Amino acid sequence: MHAPERRRACLFAVACTLCAPAWAAFGFDELMAVLAQRKAGEVRFSEERAVSGLDQPLRYSGTMSFSAPDRLERQTLTPRRESFVVDGNEVTLQRGDRVRRLALDSLPELAAMVAALRGTLSGDGSVLRRYFNPTVSGAAARWTLTLVPLDVRLLGVVRLLRIDGMHGDVRVVELQLADGDRTVTTIEPMTAAKAPATS
Amino acid sequence: MTQATLLHRGWIAVVLWLAALAAGALVIARTPFSTDLSAFLPAAPDARQRALIEQLRSGVAARTLLIGIRGGDAAQRAAASRALAERLRADPAFEQVLNGDFVAFAAVGRWVFEHRYLLSPAVDARRFGAEGLREAIDDTLSLLGTPAGAAVKPLLDRDPTGEAQRIAEGAASGGGPRTHDGVWISRDGQQALLMTHSRAEGGDLDAQARALAAIRDGFAAVAAPGLELQLSGAPKFAVDARAQIQAETRALIITGTVLMGGLLLLAFASLKALAAAMLPVATGIVAGVAAVSLAFGNVHGATLGFGTTLIGEAVDYAIYYLIQARTAGDAPGQGWRRWVRDSWPTVRLGVLTSVCGFLALVFSGFAGLAQLGVFSIAGLVAAALTARHVLPVWMPDGASGIGARRQLGRGAAALVRTLPRARHVFTALGVAALVLLFVRRDALWQTELSSLSPVSAQALALDAQLRDELLAGDERTMVAVSGNDLEAVLQAVEAVGARLDALVAGGRLLGYDAITRWLPSQATQQRRRAALPDAARLQANLAEATRDGPLAARRLGPFVQDVQRAREMPAITRESLAGTPVATLAAALLAHGSDGEFTALLPVMRAPGRGGEAAPAAIGQALHGIDAAQAFNVADELRRLYRHYIGEAQRQALLGAAGVVLLMALWLRSLPRLLAVCKPLALAVLLTMAGFAALDIPLGILHLVGLLLVVAVGSNYSLFLDWLRHQHASDDDTLASLLLANVTIVLSFGLIAASAIPALSAIGRVVAPGALLALLLSAAYAAPSARSPARAP
Repeated sequence: MHAPERRRACLFAVACTLCAPAWAAFGFDELMAVLAQRKAGEVRFSEERAVSGLDQPLRYSGTMSFSAPDRLERQTLTPRRESFVVDGNEVTLQRGDRVRRLALDSLPELAAMVAALRGTLSGDGSVLRRYFNPTVSGAAARWTLTLVPLDVRLLGVVRLLRIDGMHGDVRVVELQLADGDRTVTTIEPMTAAKAPATS
Repeated sequence: MTQATLLHRGWIAVVLWLAALAAGALVIARTPFSTDLSAFLPAAPDARQRALIEQLRSGVAARTLLIGIRGGDAAQRAAASRALAERLRADPAFEQVLNGDFVAFAAVGRWVFEHRYLLSPAVDARRFGAEGLREAIDDTLSLLGTPAGAAVKPLLDRDPTGEAQRIAEGAASGGGPRTHDGVWISRDGQQALLMTHSRAEGGDLDAQARALAAIRDGFAAVAAPGLELQLSGAPKFAVDARAQIQAETRALIITGTVLMGGLLLLAFASLKALAAAMLPVATGIVAGVAAVSLAFGNVHGATLGFGTTLIGEAVDYAIYYLIQARTAGDAPGQGWRRWVRDSWPTVRLGVLTSVCGFLALVFSGFAGLAQLGVFSIAGLVAAALTARHVLPVWMPDGASGIGARRQLGRGAAALVRTLPRARHVFTALGVAALVLLFVRRDALWQTELSSLSPVSAQALALDAQLRDELLAGDERTMVAVSGNDLEAVLQAVEAVGARLDALVAGGRLLGYDAITRWLPSQATQQRRRAALPDAARLQANLAEATRDGPLAARRLGPFVQDVQRAREMPAITRESLAGTPVATLAAALLAHGSDGEFTALLPVMRAPGRGGEAAPAAIGQALHGIDAAQAFNVADELRRLYRHYIGEAQRQALLGAAGVVLLMALWLRSLPRLLAVCKPLALAVLLTMAGFAALDIPLGILHLVGLLLVVAVGSNYSLFLDWLRHQHASDDDTLASLLLANVTIVLSFGLIAASAIPALSAIGRVVAPGALLALLLSAAYAAPSARSPARAP
């Protein structure tokens, strides 16, 4: 991005912050509006899962990409290649040379997890509200979205999801399971040059 | 012959008749009556169709009820679904109650887990080497820390390689309706869905009726007000149809008898004559039921309903006798001799032509229709014999009462006088009918097997909706593998499975189901067992596989033990599956025909979108080289089956008609007379068919049965009129008997035409107008030229 443009973007951001009345708290709808501006993106992730009973945490890393409204792709690169693609209602899992295709709506737990990610990434509040009770804390510059499942059965497995972000970017997704296990996924932009930290 | 010997012979006939009636009654008393709808499904010609029909008749489908809950809000529907399922699961009448709740699969899950090393497709020698174990454990661990991990984690020590998961993946491929709040819901979200399998066979309608009542009672007890229960499935249709057939048959028999009685009373003005007229009818019904019982071992409800049509036809013989045998110039007591001499040969020929027509039904391939054929033949022969041998003993001079006969005779004579003038009109109509039939020739016949089904269109629509939601995907595409050797069939299924796996990987198929998920071939089970290492080697391999990994080998003692137990476990066999929680699942996928042949069915779920459209062709290609396997589409196959049978029935009907013509030709021995007799019959059939074509009602097998009846009944009219013409006599009494016989037929079949049982109403709607036409046309084409003065009544 050229320098003048960047400067203009920064000015715009500052202007927005200044213009926003102090009493208007940063809430769920405002967060959704910010997130809805992002139509597509690709990021790197690294994930650490603390699972009781295991001697060490499980670690995974790879790339994730999203294109609005509903295509989500997660490519695990280490320790082994694995891919997970959701497109609309169609789920494709590939591990080694084994491919599985599933209908998302027949798998309620997976459907809820996918809704959490797709809803957040596309800023679609209605999708999130269908599955979760969402609460937002912080400000546009640094926010936390907490999603608690509505479905009693899902609540028996997933305690909550915590998504931390800055402006339109998701930074950390933390999944807390009912049995105390916890998965923390840290997200970084693909390359510093390609994707500006804020926009 | 003296009067005494004649009388003596007459009494012998009566004694024989009484003995036959008694024997018939005895047979009937021991006859089971059935209302099994599949009697109107054809006996299938090839193995895969047999398996399909077998599945429809007595397979899991025949025990499956589909349930929908509508109204209220989502939470109320979900609560009702859970509460209803809980109640039904406690009821021993239900083998399985599915509503999306995993509870239903707990027993299946336990059984699968116990047998996982014989069932998992992943088990091979490499999998239990150090490298294979490491990969398998990594795969399993990758589910931990996600919601899917909840199912894996408690079993990690016993199943670190995730075999249970692997088996479940295959079985659940593509799977199931949408789930919300832990219960199945329809795609539009407005309906909670459940499915039950009864423990009792589908044919046990009393048990099915109890199951339906249990569901209705359970729903009434648990559902919030405003919720509505929707029920569908083969058992519901069968139970409803039974109730309908029972109620209708009773109503038809009662109204038919009353109507006929009133008509005969009006005609004869004599109770004695009425009783005499009913004698051949009753005898015919007893003979018909007894013959069907002896030939088939049971009598179908619809056959009994059809029996009421016999009231209309068999009463003709009595009418002919009672009117025609009246003393007129004969010595008292001698009227019957003249009747036997003059009329009986014509009546006998009419009976023979009817028998000829109904023989076509006997060989139709539909158990239900074959019963109708046997019933009609035995009934008509018995009724005619009763009229010939028993009535003369009781009423040697026919019926003495006058009643409305004079008017009938005058009316009939007027018809015979005036109708021939309209001949050219009828001929023109016949030509028009031919043209119409030719133009509509492609839409003339029904092509759907469901046209025989007594289920209303509304009920079918609900069934289709529930079926579409619950039995997701494209259940209608199947691969069938059949053979006499179970092991060979199972190995072929495994070979088919391997090819289908490739189509699943290629995105053509969402998945498929196969018996070998629950019952692998013995060869495969042996190979899997052989792949399991002994405890020492397994421990060594595990130590290497888990070195530096997150899962410690010391935790995996239960795994080593389970593998050792699996090495000793007896193989799963078809016999050992009986009584296990997967028995129902297996029964839906493997049929054992009464001829000893095994047929495995593999329902295939097409992938949605473009990939799936090419699936049928791809499946066909994939099966190349596996001779025992064939792919087919269930709906197409049923349609093909029906087309085959309607073609067969058409051929048989033509053969029957040819038999009728041949018989008449042999009797008449004159081509012009034969043509004169056949012309009105052919025209009656043509005009009736054209009427249906004009009303856009496609004809089915049962309409064909009706047309046969038109020919059978109509041949009596046209033969009598021919006989009269060649006697150079116009006997008002004979004409009166024809008209009365026709009115009874048209009325009794008109009654049947209004029946709500499609099988019966179809026949009635053809016969009532067809028989009327047959009489009118016979009168129209009977030459009145040689008219002699009518005998005084």
